[in-house]
Amino acid sequence: MSEKLLRISSLKTYYFSRKSVIKAVDDVSLEISRGEMVGLVGESGSGKSTLGLSIVKLVPPPGKIIDGRIILDGKDILKLSDKELRKIRGKRIGMIFQDPLTCLDPLRRIGDQIVETILTHLRIDKEDAREIAMKTLERVGIPSDRIDNYPHQLSGGMRQRAMIAMSIALDPELLIADEPTTALDVVVQSRIMDLLEDLRTERNMSILLITHDLALVIERSNRVVIMYGGKVCEIGLVKDIAEDPLHPYTKLLLQSIPDIEKIKTELKPIPGSPPDMRNPPPGCRFWPRCPYTLERCKDTEPNLTIIEGRVVACHLYRG
Amino acid sequence: MTSLKVFIVARTIALIPTVLILVTLVFFIMRVLPGDPVIAIVGMKAPMERVIELKKELGLIDEKGDEIPLIIQYFNYLGRLVQGDLGKSLIWGKRPVIVEIMEHLPATIELAIVGFIVSIVIGIILGTLGASKGGKANSAVKIYSAIAYALFIPWIGMMFQLVFSVWLKILPVGGRIGVGLEPPTYTGLYIIDSLVSGRIDSLISSLRHITLPAVTLGLVISGVFSRVTRASVEEVLRQDFVVAARARGLSEYKIMLHVLKNSFIPILTMMGLQLALLMTGAVLTETTFSWPGMGTFLLERIQYRDYTTVQGTVVFFAIIVALMNLIVDICYAYIDPRIRY
Amino acid sequence: MNTFRPILTKLVPRIPLTTIGIAGLLMVLLVISMAIFADFLTPYDPTKSVGLSLQPPSLQYPFGTNKVGQDMWSRTVHGARTMLIVVALSTVISIVIGVPLGLISGYVGGLLDRVLTMVMDAIYAFPSLILAIAIAAALGPGIINTAISIAVVYVPTYFRMVRGQTLNVKSQLYVEAAVAIGAKQTSILLKYIFPNVIFVVIAVFTLSVADVVLTEAALSFFGLSVPAPTPDWGFDLRAGHPYLVSGYWWLVTFPGLMIIILAVGFTLLGESISEYLGLREVKV
Repeated sequence: MSEKLLRISSLKTYYFSRKSVIKAVDDVSLEISRGEMVGLVGESGSGKSTLGLSIVKLVPPPGKIIDGRIILDGKDILKLSDKELRKIRGKRIGMIFQDPLTCLDPLRRIGDQIVETILTHLRIDKEDAREIAMKTLERVGIPSDRIDNYPHQLSGGMRQRAMIAMSIALDPELLIADEPTTALDVVVQSRIMDLLEDLRTERNMSILLITHDLALVIERSNRVVIMYGGKVCEIGLVKDIAEDPLHPYTKLLLQSIPDIEKIKTELKPIPGSPPDMRNPPPGCRFWPRCPYTLERCKDTEPNLTIIEGRVVACHLYRG
Repeated sequence: MTSLKVFIVARTIALIPTVLILVTLVFFIMRVLPGDPVIAIVGMKAPMERVIELKKELGLIDEKGDEIPLIIQYFNYLGRLVQGDLGKSLIWGKRPVIVEIMEHLPATIELAIVGFIVSIVIGIILGTLGASKGGKANSAVKIYSAIAYALFIPWIGMMFQLVFSVWLKILPVGGRIGVGLEPPTYTGLYIIDSLVSGRIDSLISSLRHITLPAVTLGLVISGVFSRVTRASVEEVLRQDFVVAARARGLSEYKIMLHVLKNSFIPILTMMGLQLALLMTGAVLTETTFSWPGMGTFLLERIQYRDYTTVQGTVVFFAIIVALMNLIVDICYAYIDPRIRY
Repeated sequence: MNTFRPILTKLVPRIPLTTIGIAGLLMVLLVISMAIFADFLTPYDPTKSVGLSLQPPSLQYPFGTNKVGQDMWSRTVHGARTMLIVVALSTVISIVIGVPLGLISGYVGGLLDRVLTMVMDAIYAFPSLILAIAIAAALGPGIINTAISIAVVYVPTYFRMVRGQTLNVKSQLYVEAAVAIGAKQTSILLKYIFPNVIFVVIAVFTLSVADVVLTEAALSFFGLSVPAPTPDWGFDLRAGHPYLVSGYWWLVTFPGLMIIILAVGFTLLGESISEYLGLREVKV
């Protein structure tokens, strides 16, 4: 087993409104090793994006991390001061988001935005920073003469590359990619994924790929984490999950994938709708939509347990 | 950049009808409305020759003493206006109106600039605070933004005079600079002229004199800016690039600078729209603080029924405001690179 | 404040006022009741000399006396009348001119519409106070003349809004329905457009009335409004100003305070109402 870069344990991130509490991330634990790509899969509202933002302690108000630990290389991120946190953000942990157009400052040249990030973390002069910015742009496949373009002058794929360049300019150890390809067409999508994979292998970068697209994760990552209603329901190697999913939700997710050769079952959308997070069902959060509901599912929450080397939270399996 | 040039030319051409309409309006208000201005100036008992002489000067009658039709008078007026001739004062030695305006304009410009800076600083600070702090601070800024404009300038000015000049005696009650301290003229703006000529005494005196008027003017106009800044910053803060910038480790200070730059276009637009308000405010402020600018000048000449000067000054205001709006439009196109494409 | 709210929301039906709106309403009501009950509230004739010159506030003269010995309390209370009369008159004039022009311009369209719109836009872009000053100077003092000078400034606002609404209704409603059943054009205009016009008038009035108050105060502060000895806040502000330097603070404080109370009151009330009506974008 390779070295663990990030360990999240019992993380709880809740959103507080006047009337209710939304447990967006409820007691979630996971680990990421160096050089590993972990796919975090869930529907919208499952808490996967909140988890991603929690790692850099950027949960927007009224959200709050109320408990848990996020250990990066031996240090608990949640205990750091704002100043120490800023040193980690962008330097050791990079982040890319779904819509690069809204995530880039529209009024500034992409080169300037990269240079600014570099200068925030390194004490070097502007010319050197610009040199690094150019090299980074070339590394992500943007001709370096585009350095003085504004975001609106780039295509969608280019913009996402620019966003990636901005996040990897300082060689972070961990890259959190929140739906990095959702806004892009299929061809561009696969190129961006190739780029991420190259980064992982060349730089030994760890990548947390947050997406609703299980197929993409199966194709690209090493391990998969499935989230439902703020909880992790299954963790496993891609091979295990793809060939023998344990959790009913994972099974249904796999069946809803249109075109994966390994899956012979016909295409089925998951019945029902995601849980109302202000008022989640008691017991297992998936039971109202689960085809295999047992009586105890309705009142007892299942815990993540290890069954024959597999990790799943479901009453159907007993350790 | 050629697209920017085209833009400037197009906007300039669009100005012409607006200015023409206002000039026409002011001309007819001054001529058609009741009361014979000539009699009002020279008096009922003036000799006939004096009246005829004055009428000739005003372009009301021709050399032979026949009345010139109003419409011809109007076109004659337009013709002179195009050549930059705003007419001559009826009193004060019949000086050209444009010369008198140019004597008073720098004072107004100086007051307007400093007042504008004060209002922008107050407005942007309050608006940014309200938007970033939220809660009660936000509500307080909202109320401030609403009522600031309703604070009647002369009264606020007088209260400042009462406290700082009459009771505390730390600032002058009015005027533009101490007697005999006027710096040599380069720009006509005392603050700049005293800096250029190195006159410390003039600089201190003019700063002391401009403080109360500029703060009064700035305070009342600041509400518009705190309102638009608050709304704009609040909106930009919600955008994804702010989170993205935080995720790259940028300091809150740097992020706020980017947010402000992105919020700037609505603020700039608002600045343009406030130029008319600034002129209005300057007129009220000037009369309150005996500030020797365009407003004081205009009201003084109204009292003397110097109606060519009044007409010329009002027309001048119209042209100035139109020009300032043009400049704002150009700045707007310059700042936002997206507009040029 | 909470005990007031039910009563006040009953008085102003269907407009749920915010706390700010209620504060504004109370300020406006204060001035209105001063105007209505002026004769009961004041012991002296505001235009006559009733005491010694420049007396500080006392029990006998709560707001002091001015240079000519007039009672400032009486003048301040009666000043509410002058102000409200000018505000009402100028509003009526603006509506009487602006609304029909807007209707005709929007309905008839074509060259007339373009010319009118251009003229109105030009006036609209001009610094309103300077235009009002020019007209007031040409017309001379007097309540009606002041009202006209102010009204001219607000005609374009009513015009623009009414024209916009007319165009809106014209394109939506009557082309499709009313004309098809052969209704007469004038009756269409009245039936469909009238409710919209009322809405526009309320909206513009709500958003501009504080400005009207400030313009009247400014004109009279410049000595271009009512002639002496009519009690008028702006006039008293001007008259008391020279004595401020000698420390006679009461001459300007109270009339000026009234101007601000009325203007702020209308602003807060307008803010509250326009938020309710969704008039955010309709900035006057």
